[in-house]
Amino acid sequence: MKLIPTASQTVGPFFSIGLAPLFQSQPTDGTVPDGAIIVRGNVTDGDRKAIPDAVLEFWGSGGFVRVPTEENGSFHATLKLAAGASYFDVLVFMRGLLRPVYTRCYFDAMDELRKNESLTKVPTDRLTTLLAHSNGMRGQYEWNIRVQGKDETVFFEF
Amino acid sequence: MSKSTEDRRVLLASQPPYLHPPYVSTQKRAPSKPLVALASSLANINGPVFGHETIQPNDGDLTGQHSGEPLGERIIVAGKVMDDDGHPVRGALMEIWQANAAGRYRHKNDNHAAPLDPNFSGCGRVLTDEEGRYSFATVKPGAYPWKNHENAWRPAHIHFSLFGAGIFSRLVTQMYFPNDPLLPFDPIFNSIPDAGARDRLVSTFDWPTTKPEHALGYRFDIILRGSNSTPMETIHP
Repeated sequence: MKLIPTASQTVGPFFSIGLAPLFQSQPTDGTVPDGAIIVRGNVTDGDRKAIPDAVLEFWGSGGFVRVPTEENGSFHATLKLAAGASYFDVLVFMRGLLRPVYTRCYFDAMDELRKNESLTKVPTDRLTTLLAHSNGMRGQYEWNIRVQGKDETVFFEF
Repeated sequence: MSKSTEDRRVLLASQPPYLHPPYVSTQKRAPSKPLVALASSLANINGPVFGHETIQPNDGDLTGQHSGEPLGERIIVAGKVMDDDGHPVRGALMEIWQANAAGRYRHKNDNHAAPLDPNFSGCGRVLTDEEGRYSFATVKPGAYPWKNHENAWRPAHIHFSLFGAGIFSRLVTQMYFPNDPLLPFDPIFNSIPDAGARDRLVSTFDWPTTKPEHALGYRFDIILRGSNSTPMETIHP
């Protein structure tokens, strides 16, 4: 018999007190460091209102990055994909989430996502929620998270 | 009901759901669609490794981060972090945050009309040792009102964030204090269906952890999911 894991509880609204030491420090001049990509986006709720108190963790073999959302619900993270990798696993924490939600942010072509063996159980019309979209500038992507609603982000079993 | 069916039911009831309407913030923030299974073998992403360079002096003593001592009841919180096989989780980073003894967080959005304490920041960080043990010193946090419902008060609690063997080991939780009269009324605590799982979030007063003439001691052990664990949702009762 295994031990029962400790129950999860929300991070609450004041998590920055404890979690800020690991927030990624952002380059102030907006440049993209060599070999890095920048992903920007917004986190919104079931009423499409901005969520100003979420914290995102990007987990990948290329590293770990934690960023909070700003007052307007936006975030941006500077990421380094490991060679051959096409995505980061993402955990999102916020007041109102008693457990984190788990999703993925892919830097890939839509055709590749449709063929991806990990994603065969994702409804085709929701695949796009997992895809970061290039904004046309080298190394810069947009990826939004909707925690609830019609165009809700795909969240995986966790 | 077979033993293993009952075990799985208890395991499923040991974690809160996303939607728990009495906790009002879940109503617009809980996912509304079913979670999706990752079809191929799960990416068991290894956790980031944090070494001793992550920790600053006094990160484990929240009473010693300023020129003076914070007001309040000095306490020591200690325990052991284990995986679900009972093995110690060594070198696990634990991040801690809490309100001060008056129930006020040092945060710009905390508007509770209780005093800030110039000698208390409410942030700590420790690593578990070779036996998975941890310990930190702080003051007992105060209860505070939170407007979730009429006359809503959060029971006193300390926030914990932990990294274990991998992404499925990640845990953010809250530790409560024994005999707190607010616990039966707290929608966040009571979002956990299983009474045993709720009770395990309540620390126990612990004589061996006390420091004579200095601080009372509370014990709080933590179980993280192991590196071979499967998602909660695949555990069907």
